[in-house]
Amino acid sequence: MTDLEVKNIKKTFRLSRKQRRIEHTDERKRIAVKGLSFTARRGEIYGLLGPNGAGKTTTLRCISTLIRPDEGDIFIDGKSVLKESIEVRKNIAFLTTELKLDDFFTPNYLFDYFSKLHGIDEETMEKRKAEQFNRFGIDKFAEVKVADLSSGMKQKTSLAISLVHDPDFIIFDEPTNGLDVLTARTVIDYLLEMRDAGKAIIISTHILSVVEKMCDRVGIIIDGELKISDDLDKVKALDANGDLEEVFFRLMEESAGELAHA
Amino acid sequence: MRNMLVIFKKELFRVLTDKRLVLTVFILPGLSIFIIYTIIGTVVQTQFTEPEDYETKIYGENVPEAIVLAFDETMNYRFIEGGLTRDDLEEKLLEEEIDLAVIFAENFEERIAERDKQDLPDVTIYYNQGNQRSSSAHNRVSAVMRAYHESIIKDRLDDPADYHPYVLDTENIVDERSMAAQGFAMLLPMLIIIFLFVGAMSIGPDAIAGEKERGTIASLLVTPTKRRDIALGKVTSAALLSLLSALSAFIGIILSLPRLMVADEAMPDISIYGAREFLAIFLLLVVTVIFIVGLISIISAYAKTIKEASMLITPFYLIAMIIGIMNSFGADVNHNPLVHLLPIYGPINMLSGILLFDYSITNFFITIAANIGYTALFVFVLNKMFDSEKMMFSR
Ligand SMILES: Nc1ncnc2c1ncn2[C@@H]1O[C@H](COP(=O)(O)OP(=O)(O)O)[C@@H](O)[C@H]1O
Ligand SMILES: [Mg+2]
Repeated sequence: MTDLEVKNIKKTFRLSRKQRRIEHTDERKRIAVKGLSFTARRGEIYGLLGPNGAGKTTTLRCISTLIRPDEGDIFIDGKSVLKESIEVRKNIAFLTTELKLDDFFTPNYLFDYFSKLHGIDEETMEKRKAEQFNRFGIDKFAEVKVADLSSGMKQKTSLAISLVHDPDFIIFDEPTNGLDVLTARTVIDYLLEMRDAGKAIIISTHILSVVEKMCDRVGIIIDGELKISDDLDKVKALDANGDLEEVFFRLMEESAGELAHA
Repeated sequence: MRNMLVIFKKELFRVLTDKRLVLTVFILPGLSIFIIYTIIGTVVQTQFTEPEDYETKIYGENVPEAIVLAFDETMNYRFIEGGLTRDDLEEKLLEEEIDLAVIFAENFEERIAERDKQDLPDVTIYYNQGNQRSSSAHNRVSAVMRAYHESIIKDRLDDPADYHPYVLDTENIVDERSMAAQGFAMLLPMLIIIFLFVGAMSIGPDAIAGEKERGTIASLLVTPTKRRDIALGKVTSAALLSLLSALSAFIGIILSLPRLMVADEAMPDISIYGAREFLAIFLLLVVTVIFIVGLISIISAYAKTIKEASMLITPFYLIAMIIGIMNSFGADVNHNPLVHLLPIYGPINMLSGILLFDYSITNFFITIAANIGYTALFVFVLNKMFDSEKMMFSR
């Protein structure tokens, strides 16, 4: 059994009037993901690489059970996100750098709150809290309201809180987006550490260097379609000089060509 | 179920530890009612009681001696004798420099004595109804004139005893309890509905639309929490907080009643109601508050921002307020069982009925059941909404 298997998922959104106006389009529907399949495994970081609007966030939200694919299914340890969403949620974390915390609460309160929602017992919770707060240097700010934390500290708190239940699957949408270099470094190091600890990690990004730095496997997604999905080394090898950027832009051009022909 | 409690506690903690919210949700309703009522009470009181030492200013022309003597007996006044034109006089009345003018025809008493029916002497009284002091001077002067009138007629009768053809007694039999009940029935239901709404409006949108606006809802939805638990946790906590908020308003009302009612003879005394009425009122409050909170929660789950939620709630608030005001000035308690099925109107009508000791147990339970039914429906819909990506992640 594959640890995580995305099986031919499709997702269409109805565009609101407001959205049509903003994007200057008459389309009523947008096919955000067009039959996407790939697999991810424990002990590996899988990177979904693609330009803005390619369908990365949509795919990751489907994996995280926040939205449902119209067709296809996703299996996590064999459990369907469509049919066993509650079971799936017990063993996944969904993170984005946009993930906001309620300004009013302290890291300490939020850690307890999410631990309880995950049904974690008091003892385990306190032990894990001490570890994580120490790991990210949150201890000193444990009783400071989120509103008064620096943006770096907010991001670290968000990371600690999303992982209260120590899940096997970590899904992270654009993990370094908008972060200062130092915080980005902390996040990347932590994800690498988690991979080495045997977690399955799936990230999305539009930044090539992020993929090169941390991914074991990569899928290039353009316009809702996965153009390629393989080990990073094999994908790079598609270019004579082993340049990921070249491979990426060639695929972009091809897909633009297809569109022009269509 | 366990997660419902976790969410319930978090929402309570959120509000109860926020000084600003505690102030606006729990302190201000009671305090503002108390202050407003106290001010109204004080104003009403000063309107009805005239300071003892006020010197009424009366202008007069050709005033007979007998009348002057009667004035001396009935009021503290300063007399201004003649010398004004009609225009001056009217102006002075309007400017409240004089309170009343009384103009007798020349040789008034001699002409009365002549008894010439073709040529009756006039008396003209000028006063300004817009001036409280002028009105009260008018009442007194009129009384003096009536007495003067009676004494003249008595003199003309052969037998003064003829002046009293019958004996008139007036007795004011007032039932203090029912007067007090009327006072409560008029005031309370409207105020309670308004404050329940205001309380729920300051909590519901923040707890639900706020999570969408801040983007914190995704963190909650990705935990293994049943959507029903989220819906129930949010609704029950908002209901409890709104109830506390309404309670604050209620305490404000009770504390300020003595001040508000000084003007009236019979001061409503809350002790006319027994445990049974209080229990019934409490149950009604609970079901009404869960109805309102359920409604507001659904609107908040639909809205993308707190502001949008507040905007969408406003029309419902206005409708509820109009129903409340209509009840205050409306006629009798409605006993049609079907009417008790209506949201908002049903509970307000029942509340009036209880306050007036005029209600049936069957209708009471219809009201309670109907509201529980509506709320169950709301929670069901809310549960679906939390499960709907269109509602939670729409753009
Ligand atoms: N909730 C939504 N409603 C309507 N359209 C959406 C919604 N979410 C995403 N889309 C559209 O689907 C496409 C893919 O979006 P997204 O998955 O966010 O791309 P990415 O994360 O790769 O930038 C975009 O064209 C976007 O406008
Ligand atoms: Mg995205």
